[in-house]
Formats: sequence, C-alpha cells, structure tokens
Amino acid sequence: MEGASYQRFPKVKIREMKDDYAKFELRDTDASVANALRRVMIAEVPTIAIDLVEIEVNSSVLNDEFIAHRLGLIPLTSERAMSMRFSRDCDACDGDGQCEFCSVEFHLRAKCLTDQTLDVTSKDLYSSDHTVVPVDFSDSSGYDASEQRGIIIVKLRRGQELRLRAIARKGIGKDHAKWSPAATVTFMYEPEIHINEDLMETLSLEDKRSWVESSPTKVFDIDPNTQQVVVVDPEAYTYDDEVIKKAEAMGKPGLVEIYAKEDSFIFTVESTGAIKASQLVLNAIEVLKQKLDAVRLSDDTVEADDQFGELGAHMRGG
Amino acid sequence: MAEDGKDWKKMVRGSGTTPDREAMRELFKHHIESFDHLCESGLETMFLRIKPVVVTDPSCNIKLRIWFGKPELYPPQKEQSKSTHLPLYPSECRQAKISYTGKFLAEVCFQYDNSAAVIRQKFNFGQFPIMLMSKLCNLRGADPQKLVSCREESLEMGGYFILNGFERVVRLLILQKRNYPVSVVRNSFSDRREGYTDKAVVIRCVREDQSAVTVKLYYLRSGSARLGFWIQGREFLLPLGIVLKALVDTTDHEIYLSLTSCYSEKYEGVKGAVGTPLLGERAKVILDEVQHLALLTRLQCLQHIGEHFQPVMNGLETESYSVVGETVLRDYIFVHLDNNYDKFNLLIFMVQKLFSLIDQTSAPDNLDSLQNQEVLLPGQLITIYLKEKLQEWLDKAKRLLQDQINNKSKNFDFRSLEDIKKVMDKNPSKQISQAIENMLKTGRLATQSGLDLQQRAGMTVQAERLNFLRYLSHFRAVHRGSSFAGLRTTSVRKLLPESWGFLCPVHTPDGEPCGLLNHMTASCRITSYFNSQGNIRDFFKIKLSILSVLIGVGMTPSLPKLAQAGPPEVLSVLLDGRVVGSIPSSEVEKAVAHIRRLKLAATSAIPDDLEVGYVPLSMGGAYPGLFLFSSPSRFVRPVKNISVPSEKSHDIELIGPFEQAFMEIRCPDGGDGGRRNTFPATHEEIHPTGILSVVANLTPWSDHNQSPRNMYQCQMAKQTMAFSSQAIHFRADQKLYHLQTPQTPIVRTSAYEKYFMDEYPLGTNAIVAVLAYSGYDMEDAMILNKSSVDRGLCHGQIYQTDTIDLTDQSNRADRSQRTFRRSNVDKSVHSLIDSDGLPYVGQMIHPNEPYCSIYNEVTSTTKTNNLKSTEPVIVDYVAVDGKKNVVVDGKKKGLLQKVNIRYRRSRNPVIGDKFSSRHGQKGVCSQLWPDIDMPFSGVTGMRPDLIINPHAFPSRMTIAMLLESVAAKGGSLQGKFVDATPFASSVKKANGEPSSESSSLVDELGSMLTSYGFNYHGVEVLYSGVYGMELTCEIFIGPVYYQRLRHMVSDKFQVRSTGTVDQVTRQPIKGRKHGGGIRFGEMERDSLLAHGAAYLLHDRLHTCSDHHIADVCSLCGSILTTSFVQPQKRAVRQIGGLPPGRTPKKVTCHACQTSKGMETVAMPYVFRYLAAELAAMNIKMTLQLSNEGESLMSFAVWTEDD
Repeated sequence: MEGASYQRFPKVKIREMKDDYAKFELRDTDASVANALRRVMIAEVPTIAIDLVEIEVNSSVLNDEFIAHRLGLIPLTSERAMSMRFSRDCDACDGDGQCEFCSVEFHLRAKCLTDQTLDVTSKDLYSSDHTVVPVDFSDSSGYDASEQRGIIIVKLRRGQELRLRAIARKGIGKDHAKWSPAATVTFMYEPEIHINEDLMETLSLEDKRSWVESSPTKVFDIDPNTQQVVVVDPEAYTYDDEVIKKAEAMGKPGLVEIYAKEDSFIFTVESTGAIKASQLVLNAIEVLKQKLDAVRLSDDTVEADDQFGELGAHMRGG
Repeated sequence: MAEDGKDWKKMVRGSGTTPDREAMRELFKHHIESFDHLCESGLETMFLRIKPVVVTDPSCNIKLRIWFGKPELYPPQKEQSKSTHLPLYPSECRQAKISYTGKFLAEVCFQYDNSAAVIRQKFNFGQFPIMLMSKLCNLRGADPQKLVSCREESLEMGGYFILNGFERVVRLLILQKRNYPVSVVRNSFSDRREGYTDKAVVIRCVREDQSAVTVKLYYLRSGSARLGFWIQGREFLLPLGIVLKALVDTTDHEIYLSLTSCYSEKYEGVKGAVGTPLLGERAKVILDEVQHLALLTRLQCLQHIGEHFQPVMNGLETESYSVVGETVLRDYIFVHLDNNYDKFNLLIFMVQKLFSLIDQTSAPDNLDSLQNQEVLLPGQLITIYLKEKLQEWLDKAKRLLQDQINNKSKNFDFRSLEDIKKVMDKNPSKQISQAIENMLKTGRLATQSGLDLQQRAGMTVQAERLNFLRYLSHFRAVHRGSSFAGLRTTSVRKLLPESWGFLCPVHTPDGEPCGLLNHMTASCRITSYFNSQGNIRDFFKIKLSILSVLIGVGMTPSLPKLAQAGPPEVLSVLLDGRVVGSIPSSEVEKAVAHIRRLKLAATSAIPDDLEVGYVPLSMGGAYPGLFLFSSPSRFVRPVKNISVPSEKSHDIELIGPFEQAFMEIRCPDGGDGGRRNTFPATHEEIHPTGILSVVANLTPWSDHNQSPRNMYQCQMAKQTMAFSSQAIHFRADQKLYHLQTPQTPIVRTSAYEKYFMDEYPLGTNAIVAVLAYSGYDMEDAMILNKSSVDRGLCHGQIYQTDTIDLTDQSNRADRSQRTFRRSNVDKSVHSLIDSDGLPYVGQMIHPNEPYCSIYNEVTSTTKTNNLKSTEPVIVDYVAVDGKKNVVVDGKKKGLLQKVNIRYRRSRNPVIGDKFSSRHGQKGVCSQLWPDIDMPFSGVTGMRPDLIINPHAFPSRMTIAMLLESVAAKGGSLQGKFVDATPFASSVKKANGEPSSESSSLVDELGSMLTSYGFNYHGVEVLYSGVYGMELTCEIFIGPVYYQRLRHMVSDKFQVRSTGTVDQVTRQPIKGRKHGGGIRFGEMERDSLLAHGAAYLLHDRLHTCSDHHIADVCSLCGSILTTSFVQPQKRAVRQIGGLPPGRTPKKVTCHACQTSKGMETVAMPYVFRYLAAELAAMNIKMTLQLSNEGESLMSFAVWTEDD
C-alpha cells in the first residue's frame, strides 16, 4: 500500500447513556464509517432469539406458526451472544443446534382453569439458562410489577392449553429481524448554522418572529433582551430548508447559511433490551473490526474464511 | 398540542361508541324480510291461489276435487329418534356439508262432488331450505353471546341459505316496475306481425301471490291496438275492442267516450294536453273491428275469446266458451286487479297513454332507467317457483289418477282415499322441496312457463367470505339480468341520473359486467311486506285509507262513472296500477304535499314508504298523472323533507326512484343548486355520501380522487386477503384467506365505524415512502422491507378444507364398505397418520405424502390418500361426523364415514405478491429488502415498510392517498383516528353554517404536522441506507393503509423444463395444474422471426416441443409405412460378464419391402400425425429427400382406379 495515508482517528463523545438508549457524537470520520456502524448495529450484532418451537399442545385461538412467530420476536437477554457459537458451526452438537454451547432451551406450560382470561406472557417462558431470559421491562418503565407481566404471547380462555418447548439460538438481524438488537439506530450530520447578523438586523421584530416560527422544529429563538435571533438548538434542525425558503420568500436570501459538517455525526441508538445500548455500540465496533480484519487479511490469505469463522459468511455474502 | 388543536379535534372522532347493529342489519334486511313474509303469509296466500283440479270417473260419474289447504313450515331440526327434536344449527350444516332445511307439510283437500265433506290430508313436501336469520331460523333473535356459542360470527346477519354446506344468496334482479304501464318504443315490436308499429304500452301485473303476467298493448298502423300476453311460450294477441267489450257490459258509445275523453278542443295545444283529434278516428277503427267480427254483446266477445283459447287452457276442456273467456280475462289480463271495471279503466288509461305516445304528446319511458324498475327478492322468487312446482305436482296427480281410472284396474277404488293417495304417491311430494333446493343450489329454474322472468339461470350466487366487504356486496348487489350481458348495445349499462341515491355510481365492476352489476347505496332500502314495527302490512286497509285521503283532497273516484276528462284538466290517479279516480290539475300539488305530510306523520295510516309519483303536466314529457305505489320490492331511500315544519325526528321521508325524478331535492351544502325561486327545494339530502355504496363509502376522501380509481378500489377491496371471519375455527369453507395481524386504519370514514369494519379489518398501516430508490419500484412495483415482513407485516394463511365422504358412491363401482383405518403392516405411514386413519392435527404434510388411510372391507386393502398440492400444508383440524359414530345398544350403529380435514398453509409476503392502497393503487412486490438498505430518517430513525414510485401519482391523480399519508402521520402523532368522510366540506353544520373553513383540508393537516415538528407537506429528509448520505430531495413519507390482495405468486407461478406431453401430438400439455408449459404462440413466434433469432426459434418450437426423428423411406417417400423389424434372437451364447450386445435397429418400408432407402429426418411429431390424418382421408403424402436441404413434399389422392 503506497501513497498518502488517509488514516483518521475518530472520536466518540457520549452524550447520554441509558440501558436501552444512547446518544453520542462521532467525529473525525466520514459517512461510510458512520453508516457501517449503523448497519452493523441493526443487522450484524448477534443476539439470542427463539428459533425452533416444538408444540406439544396448542388449543388456543392462535395457530402454531403464529405462536412460534410471536415467541421468536420476544427479545431475550443476550449478553452471552458474542461468546456463543452459531449452531451451524457448533462442533459439540454437530450442527443440530441443541447443545448448551449454541442453544438455550425454553419451556412453556399454561392452561386456563378459571373463567377469567389467562394471559400467557413472556414471564411464563422458563429458560434452561438464567442468563438468557425474556427481557423484563417492569423496572425501567413506571408500571407496577403486577401490572406489567411481560410480553403477551396468547390469551387463553377456560380449558385452553398451551404447552411447548422452544430452542433459542444465536443469530444476526440480517437473517431475521428477530435477532436485531436495535430498535432504532440513526445518525444525522451535525449542522453548522450561520446567521447573517447584518441582514437579520434589517428585519422587523415581527418578521423575525415569523421567520423563527417558519421552522417546524425549535432551532432558533429570539433573545428576549436583545431581540436578536439566536440559534438555540442547532441539532433540532432537520435539514428541511424551511427557514432558507422562508428567507427567500421574505426577499432576504442568504439570511442564514446552514451546512452539514461532513465529518461529525450524532448517533441515536435504541436497543430492544436484548443487550444494553452501550454494549450494542461496543459489540458493533467489535464486529466491524473483525470484518475489517478479514478484508485486510484476505489480501494475502485465500482461506480467510477459515480464520474468521463466523465472519466468513459476512465476507462472502457481503 | 398547538393552538390549532381545536380545529383538529373536529376531524377526529372519539372511539368507544356503543355498537348499534341496526345499521348493519338494514343492509341485509330485504333478503330476510322477504323470506319472513314467505314463511308468515306468502306461502298461504300462494297455496290458496293454486288452481284446484277435478278428476272425473266417467263410469260412475263421480267428481273428485283436489286442492291445497294450509301449508306448514318448521324450523330446521335434527333427524333424531321420534321423541326428541333438537334444533339444527347452521354451523353444523356447514361442517357436515348438509342443507339447512326445515320440514314442509301441507294440507291437501279432497272433496267428492256428492258429499259436502272436505277431507284434509297432510302431505309431506320434504325438507324446505330455510334462510338464515329468518323467522324460522334457529338463530333468529339471538344476541351476540348466543351466536358465538352457536359457533357463528357475533355479527352474523343471515340472509342466505346453506345448501350442502355452501352458503348461497339469491341474486337481486332488476324487473320492470310492477303495475305501472310503461310506454316503450322497440323495433322488435314492428316485426311481430304485419301492420304492427314499434310502439306499445307494457305493464307487468303482479298478483297478490307475487306471480306476474306482462301485458303489452301494441299500436297498429291501422290506428287500432292489440293486447298481447304469453301463454305457454306463445304470445297471443287480442284486438283491443273485443277485450274492452268482454270486460264490462257497455255500449260502443261509452267506449268511444272513454277513449276520447282525454281530448278536448278547448285545451288543444295547451301544456299537458295529451289528446288529439285523431283519437276519435282511432276509436272508430277499434269499434269497427269488433263490428266486423259480428260481436255485439259482452257474451259474444267472451265466447269469441273462449273459443280461441280453449285449446291452451288446461282443465277447462269441458267448460263453455264464455267460462273459458272469463278465465282468460281473469288469469292473463291485468291480474293485479280483481274487478273487471278496474281492468276496463286501466285498459282505457293505457290506450290513452299509447295514443299520446303515437301523437308525440308524451315521451316514451325508458325501461333501463331505475324509475321504471323494481327488484326481485328471494321470497318472491321462491314463491313463484314453488307455485309452479305445486301446480305441476297437482296436475300430474290428476293425470295419474285419470290414467288409473281409465285402466279400470280392480284394486283401485276411486272412492277410497287410501287408493287415491297411493296413486298420488307415485309422484312423490317430497320432490317439491328438492326442486326448491336444487334451484337455490344451482341458480337454475327448471320451468316451462318462464315465470315471467327474463332469465332461467344465475338466480343464486355463492356468498364467498373472502373478506367481509365481498361477502356484504353479495347482499347489496343488484343485477340487471344475464340476458343483457350478451347485448351488444351499451345503453343498458349506462349510468342514468334516475339511479341517483339508489345505485352506487362508483361500485360497479369494470369489464364485462360493468353497469349490469350494480350495488345499492348504503342508505338504499327495499320496501317489504313489513312495516317499521315489524308487522305484516294490511295492504287492503292501506289502500282504503289512501283512497279516503285522496277523496279528501279533491279526487273524483272513478268507479260509479266510467268516462272522465283527461289532462290537462284533470289527472288520472293510479294506486298500485288501479285507476282510482281523477284529480283536478289545480289541486294536485296541494294533494301531493298533503300526502307527503301524512307519510311523515307516525300516526297516519299512510305507509311511510308510499311512493307518490306525481308526473306534472308538460309539453311532450312523461305522461302526466298521479301514480301511487304501496307495493313491496321497490327501492326507497331516506331524504329530509324540509317543506314540512315539524320536529327534527319526523322529517325523514322515504322516497322512491319514480317520484324522485319529479322532486326538488337539494344538496345539504346550503346552496340552492341553481334552483333560484322557480323550483324551490322541498327536500334535502341527508349527506352527500348517501350516493355511495358501503364499499365505496370506506375509501377515505374519495372526493379527492380521480373517479376510476375509486372504482378500482371497490374492486380491490373485494379481493383483499383480510380478516375474513371471527369464527374461523368452526368454518369449513373450501378456501379461506386470512390475514394474521390486521390493523384498524388511522384514516377512516364515518362508515367504517357505522358498519363495524373493525370486526373484519382489511389491511395494515404501512409506512410508505414515495421515492425512486433503486429501479426496483418501477412500473407499479414496490419494495417491501424484509425486516417488517419478518416482524409480521401482511402475514397470512390460506385454509383449505377437504371433505372425505366414504358413503359417496359416485366415484366407485363396487358398493363395498369402507372405513378410515391405518394399515398395521405398513409402518412408514405411522409418522403421518394416526391409528384412526386420519392425520395428526398440527402435522406438516409434504406433497405426495399420505394424509389419510382408508380400509376397504371387501378387498381387505388399505389405500392412502396423498396430498396433491405442490406446497407443504399443515393439518389445521380434523372434524368427524359425530352422528354416524353413535354407539347404540352396545354395538356400533355406523362407522365413521365423513370427515373434514382442514389444511393451513402460511402465505407470508414474497416477491410477486400483490398489494394495494385504498385508492386503486395496486402494485407487485419486486424486492424484499433488509431494514439496513432502506432509507432512514435522521431524526426519528424510521425506515419505511414499503417504497412506491412517485410516477404512480401524476397520471392517476389519487390525491386522497397523499392526503391519507399526511393525515395518518398527524393522527398517529396525536394518537387519534382521523375522519376522512368524503364531501365533508359540502355539508352544512348543525348551526346552519356551511363548514367551509377558511383553510383547506391540506392546511388543516399540514399545520397539524408542523405543530409536531414535521414538515408541513409531509416530506422528510431521508438518508440512503446503503451509503449513509442524505438523499438529494425530501421524501414524502407517512402511514398508508395497505391491503394485501389475494393474488399470490405461489398460486400462479408456472415452471416446466420437461414433463408430460400430449398423447397425440407429443407436444407439451397446457395447464399449471398438470405441470404444463406456457404456449409459445404465433405472435411470440413472429417476434422471434423479426429478431432473426432462428436458433432460439428452433429451440422453442422444435427441440423443446415435439422433436422427433422419423424414418423415411426415400424410395416411396412415405413416413408411415416404415416399421421396425424385430431382429431374430440369435442363438449365440452370452459371454459371461458382458452386457448383451445391442442389436442394431433395423427399419424397413412395408410398401417397398426393403430397408434400402431408409433415411432419418428430424421433424416435429405433429408432422407425422398430419401424415396419418391425411392418410385417413385418402391423401398420400410423399417426401422427396435430398441432401441440399431442399426436401420436397407432394400429396396425392388415391382413387379407386389406382
């Protein structure tokens, strides 16, 4: 590799961090990296989700596939996922995906014996592994524990029964959305807003107010003391160009200039609860790194696939 | 919320309204009420009208009179032991594939002439189909809980029959309005006979028992007229004068006066005058005709009629001519009237109308317009069909008895009722109900007379429950009649202004049945025999009270005096086809207003749906008069009467299409519609959406769409794969589509809640982005988000039921006993089939795997039924016929013979499936893209579920879809449903001000979005999911309610490389079911030729088709005479270990007796077939082979000389 190095050292500044929510700045890099990070977070960070359901008894109103589908979509705590094996390349069970290294077994037994409707929820799923359980939202949201009984799977009336065994496996969101740990990952370019003060001063207060209000989001405001237009929240700007159009309509083009900073991004990450939002970002970087390693090494290693195990698929499939 | 939230609230409806099923019931009511009337009194009335038969024994001269007494119809019951009678429920019929029928008994009365005693005997007429939710249905009056416990929908509305497990609805057909003379101009009239013109006055008369006879009054060029009616498939034409004279005892002078009464010199040329001086001339011609026949008195006329009609009148062979003549008049001429004076007056009225049509003082009526139409209801159809069947039965019984008497057999005693019954049983009475059931099952009328209907097939249709809208539409559809479908003229299909408010202008299919199959508007009703309290109407009393009201407002009754003046001085008043009098034209408007007031008053005896058809005087317009109709089967719709100063609750008047044409009804937008003060509006529409059908009413903001798009939506709504049934677990339909996770639309019309569409939702709110993202959304293709599909978007199932009935003998020669049993020997099927021979529930079955096993007790063999479909299925349920499996007295009475196995196959969206929004915007899924590749919003992180191309909008102009997207975005931000009722801006608000807000609808929606920090126009900045760059333009994105249509690739794709070929031609067969190919036809061939793709052409048409190497004898040129020569078995010892050497094929020509000239030629196999066919026609085909590629072919015909 000859020539100039384009190497940059991206910086991350965390703004906000909750279990299922994170907001951070990513600087000194470009859109390809930011987007790669976003894509990896959504589609390639592994989690654990129910993948195989064996139904023993189902006399509920929902059919077997429907229940299996609902079970699959229940987020399971997946801190273990990074270290777990994909069942397709698990040596211990020869790929049938039923061993402790690559799978977690769940049992569900519910029968309604009263006249009241019984809600079968994710709390009724009994896991063989205490680290992999359905995500519990009861403490994070403000509900009482009695009110919040987990995610409803099916409702049973008197005499109906549901009995099943489910196997959860490791997977990635690219294969099926149920393995995606991210509810939302998005980023925006950081805006840079320059108000042409001189031109602004030519406007009356009324005009200023109407100009400020032309933005659907609260980006600008009028200083109550100086009666000057100030930028209160540049990141609230959605690149909708409303203020620019308004300025043109008022006959003052160039009143404001807004640029997107090409190298700074503001990320918002929401997790499904399968892994913590912070962990999601770290895992994503880890996966991204492994992928990059694979690209770098594939130059001289033909059998890169073998070295990188599970990531081989990513490199082949892209 | 922003300060404009208040305005917004107006558009958002609160949820949680109390369910009122009445609105829903109204939609089905006409079916049920008409059947109710049949059960309650219609049958009885009809039974009494059936002509008695008289059997005479000539030897002892005893007459036996047989006629029908009272009929009895019972609710459906299970055939159990005699003591217990359990009600039979519809769900059981659906599962067991039997019919929902009740016992039908009737008295047959016998009377010997020498005794006064009437002997009444009950006859069993079999099992009569019972309409669901009718008075005899076991579900009638059941509340939702009861319905659910009976395994029905909680919203079951009934109105259909269950026959062999199928649900069938009687199709509503358009008929000519009963008892109203219509002037018609039709070319075919002039072809009747010499001297006929193309003009006639036609009246369809309906008896009290609902059977009808149409009478036509033709005008002759001579100035006379002929009365025509059909008996036994032949039209009989009677001179007008004879009929007039035969009806009443009158003089020529009186007839002359009556005919010319509507002409007065004083009024000639005045507006509304219908008479001309020519009337006198014509009257003379009419009277002269009778004179020429030397018929002077009424009796002579009757005898003249009787003499000519005796051969065609059954049962009157021995009667005198005058009796026959009376019968003809009674049974065929104006059958809705009992009184000959009334018939005479009506005939005079019709002649006057006919003459005014000739003189062009009045215009012809249009039979295609709803004004002159009514509808055929199930009760009526069944009644008239049943009447004919019963009459046939009675006539046949008479014939059988007469034959028995003539045979003079010893063991038959005419005086013994037992013997008579025995003879009558040869013609089983149970067939009567069977005939009705067959008629409903097939929709075909097996009738001699035609029942005065235009068609004999297609009377019923299956009520498919593909989704609720389709199901509902079956009950609201009105068909013009299949006889019009073949007509090349398009005039019948026209949307006429007369149908305003009654038939939906939007909801008609495009294509073949366009304009013939219409749908009633949501507010349209059909009058019935029941009043609003649910009691049967006493039409006699109603008529009397109408008469007294009419006399009260100045009408001169017609009865004592025959001749009356005519328009414009006075107007004739017709009540249900009877000329009841005349009213001075100066009084008539006041009278009409008075009657309308009485219509509204709850206490008056005037029915609320009386049609007051006041045709005003005009210059050459419709024939004037006051036509009142109280009959059932008419269309009616509610409008507000604003001329009556009364309380709010009593201003809704029901009006019919006949009167509507002459009424002033304004739109409720507060304007006068250009009327000014000349024609002040007397009525007002309730809401502009009243012109739309239920389905059309569900399209949000349909007033913003290009009109054909709304039509397409009506079509597509009915093809949507939706939540078809709440009781899906108990249904056994052959095919059922089911949407797994439906949603309620955010943007909805007021009709959505009114008709409980939330019980049967149709689609999903999908986030739709409008952009050209990759080219995969070109030409109405759309990109679906794979991750959304993973999460359950538009998931669905198909349920299919397979009924296996072992008692069914039709497909089997031997009558062996068969049972469901698993073979103990063949253990391989044990994983699929349970010990009872039936599959495990929940088991997945792959193609060609067995799903049930049947044991034949005679041959002691087990046979498995294998799955024929091409995709795997899951067994959803197995239902067994419990009845056949009862154990009585310790031993099994019957073995299990009938099962329903229902399969389920999941149909999740794949590439090629069809989707549509509610605005006629359909598209095919072209790609399933992962979440990460979809564009995303930088602010919210939202990725669309669906991408459509912006080119879908400019030419189609479905603005409502854009509005829906913006409104749904606002509604979901606010958490409220948005009301999208069309024409909302043209409705006056309650306070009297029109709701024309200064801002437009877009303004309201846009400012809503701005208040939540979104763009006014509903656009957003999106980032490319692939590159992470901002997309150059802002993208229109928002939730749109999407429907998944039932057309899916999995049911349609067709692939073939090699496979079955046709036996004769050796070409690939056709048909997807048989694994056939797709025809590469002439036009496809032409295009390849044009491209010069010769190799491909050869490949498609020859190599892949019927490639054949034929042996041709170059000596005689024949390809047919060549044959293989069986090589002699050479007695050479086989060398051990080596395969036997292939003996070379040897071909010889039979004709030349040599194999010298044998050559092989590649050719299509059909060519050989052609040679063979030609040979069969004695044409010899010879091929001349050469190497230069110039093979020649010649034909020779062999003759005897050769």
